[in-house]
Amino acid sequence: MEAEEFRLVREALRAFAADHRCDAAEVGQAERTTAQKALDGLGLGELRRSTPPLASAQECALLAEEYGRQPLATSFLGTVLLAPEVLRLLAAAGRHAPYGSRPTVALTRDLRFTGRDSEADHVAWDAEGAESALWIGDDGTVRALDLGGPAPTTDLLRVVREAHPGTPDSVLGRLDPEQLHAWRAWALVMVSSELVGAAASFVEQSTAYARDRSQYGRPIGSFQAVQHLLADATVAVEACASATRYAAWCLDHADPDTALAAARVAKAEVDVSAVEAVYAGMQVFGGIAQTWEHMAHLYLRRVRVGATVLTGTVDLLTALALPEPGPQVVEAP
Amino acid sequence: MTDHDVPLDFGDPADLDTLRRELRAWLAEHPLPRRRHGEPMAEFLHRWHRQLHSGGWVGLDVPERYGGRGLTALHQVAVSDELGACRAPGVPRIGYLAHALLEFCSEEQRARLLPRMLSGDDVWCQGFSEPGAGSDLAGMSTYARRSADGGHYLVNGQKLWTSYAQYSDYCLLLARTDRAAPAHSSITAFALPLNRAGVTVRPLRAANGDDEFCELFLDDVRVAVDERVGAEGDGWPLAMTTVNYERNALDTGHLSKYGLLLERLRRQLREHRGALPDGLVSAVGRCVVDYQVLVAHARRRTAERLAGRAAGPESSVDKLLMTRAEQRLYETALAVLPEELHRDGGAVYGEYLYSRAASVYGGTSQIQRNIIAKRLLHLSSAS
Repeated sequence: MEAEEFRLVREALRAFAADHRCDAAEVGQAERTTAQKALDGLGLGELRRSTPPLASAQECALLAEEYGRQPLATSFLGTVLLAPEVLRLLAAAGRHAPYGSRPTVALTRDLRFTGRDSEADHVAWDAEGAESALWIGDDGTVRALDLGGPAPTTDLLRVVREAHPGTPDSVLGRLDPEQLHAWRAWALVMVSSELVGAAASFVEQSTAYARDRSQYGRPIGSFQAVQHLLADATVAVEACASATRYAAWCLDHADPDTALAAARVAKAEVDVSAVEAVYAGMQVFGGIAQTWEHMAHLYLRRVRVGATVLTGTVDLLTALALPEPGPQVVEAP
Repeated sequence: MTDHDVPLDFGDPADLDTLRRELRAWLAEHPLPRRRHGEPMAEFLHRWHRQLHSGGWVGLDVPERYGGRGLTALHQVAVSDELGACRAPGVPRIGYLAHALLEFCSEEQRARLLPRMLSGDDVWCQGFSEPGAGSDLAGMSTYARRSADGGHYLVNGQKLWTSYAQYSDYCLLLARTDRAAPAHSSITAFALPLNRAGVTVRPLRAANGDDEFCELFLDDVRVAVDERVGAEGDGWPLAMTTVNYERNALDTGHLSKYGLLLERLRRQLREHRGALPDGLVSAVGRCVVDYQVLVAHARRRTAERLAGRAAGPESSVDKLLMTRAEQRLYETALAVLPEELHRDGGAVYGEYLYSRAASVYGGTSQIQRNIIAKRLLHLSSAS
């Protein structure tokens, strides 16, 4: 994308987020539907429709960061970035007939990558406006699952629904091993990017609060204890941003194994540091951030669940400490 | 995210790959030096520095007319990375001094000093801290008094922590040239030859037994006006430029050192997995993450510099990330390689002790947090 074009797309997304940001945890269905329509109206689904795609991974990751900055009840990751990329990869390999439904991604009940058994317990993640969910096997097989009723989640703004195999079983195609690696790396980077945006924005808001809020007759941000708390939170956010942006660049420019390793690094960093950054921000807000009305818990819920989405941190660390030698068996990324 | 956060160019992979292959081929023909029995580390690293330079592998991002290769900092990262992957000692730690000289020296000084710095003909050290001016660097009291005819300065004072001064030919020295003016506008920098009369160097023994740190005593040292770097009063901005680069792991050559040790830890895990506690796998994984985040961060900073953003206060973030990676890495190394915990004088234990200095040298971690709070977050300080 041209720099100017990217700037305009990001501004449009920013304007959408400003209009539809949630001030409370309760969001009615009518409100959600209106917001999703507005988001869909931006046409971001086109960014990765074709091969080569209109937008690079690096650009999409920056958009996911931008999206993550505000509490929103719409689906951007699942239905705009993650599932369409599966369909694009299938189409690029000529392995997929046009698919009419609007899918999000299926994850296991504990929100991990699917892979072993399509009959197992699954949910459709980030499912606002979705009509189906894509299940992706360890061998690359892509199936469309049907959606059921709402499933429990503590990220109150994110819709999760039950998902189960349709009848008849609907196999859409099969990703080759390289594509499967590329997609999992893509998913890890996009989810990480959203969390980077959330943590960065929350730390900025708590810093602004520290400049305004006075105790003992002066702004709390003038106390060194508070300054160092926010400095550490800033370092945590910068670490997340560096790892994630570099991993996004790798998606565009490196081989799938390198990209997957960089994506694992990014997600492992974000899993810990984004949560720590939000904790620090909440500490600065003090009592007010402990209330239902304050937006702090919306950020906390997002990063806390986000830190477990797609793959567990311990699995990531193990894969990084003990990389599989030679051609990798596709296991838990 | 600000509007500055645009897609970055992390370098042309094919171009960087060619450079890496060139370096690997050169290393194959020029075997790594071995440290001779009893050879001081500094002398060994100096031999390595000259060997690297003979192949054109020092100062890749320094313009050709000053003895460099005229490439970008991204090329320098690739070389640093590749040296680690080839288990070679890292790049010489001159990047931050070279940047300071490039920015503040006169054309004549750059042409005279930089090529010899890059080749290792002249070894440089940095005379900033003093016994009474550590974290509060601007509180230094070393004084350079201009002679009545204006032709030279007489310098008196004492410097501390001037690493490797006993092996050095030049010192980038900071001294006050005006006792009345505010601290930040009264400090001046000099390129002082260390063989000058009145200079005494005394090595201190560090906790790990090395004699890296030195004291420098200056008694009526005569310094010519054309040995001054920049104008009078330019010393503070020069010091800030130096430390901004010094706080980046890339410019201090630390990255390849970490990569080397991590490979050893991973090997140990593979070979002795059953015998090691399970938690150590995660601990090493966390060190891999720290290291790779640091590499990604150095690349991002480099890409940002190439996109026109100069090194500034955000280098304090770099320094804290480097400290995090280094201290956790050596802590973990002692757990994964328990025999090293009892080998005083061993390389790993020595580096472990040195890792404790990471949160002190180049500005303590507390000073870095103060800088982030004031300069990046714009939080006011208590009056």
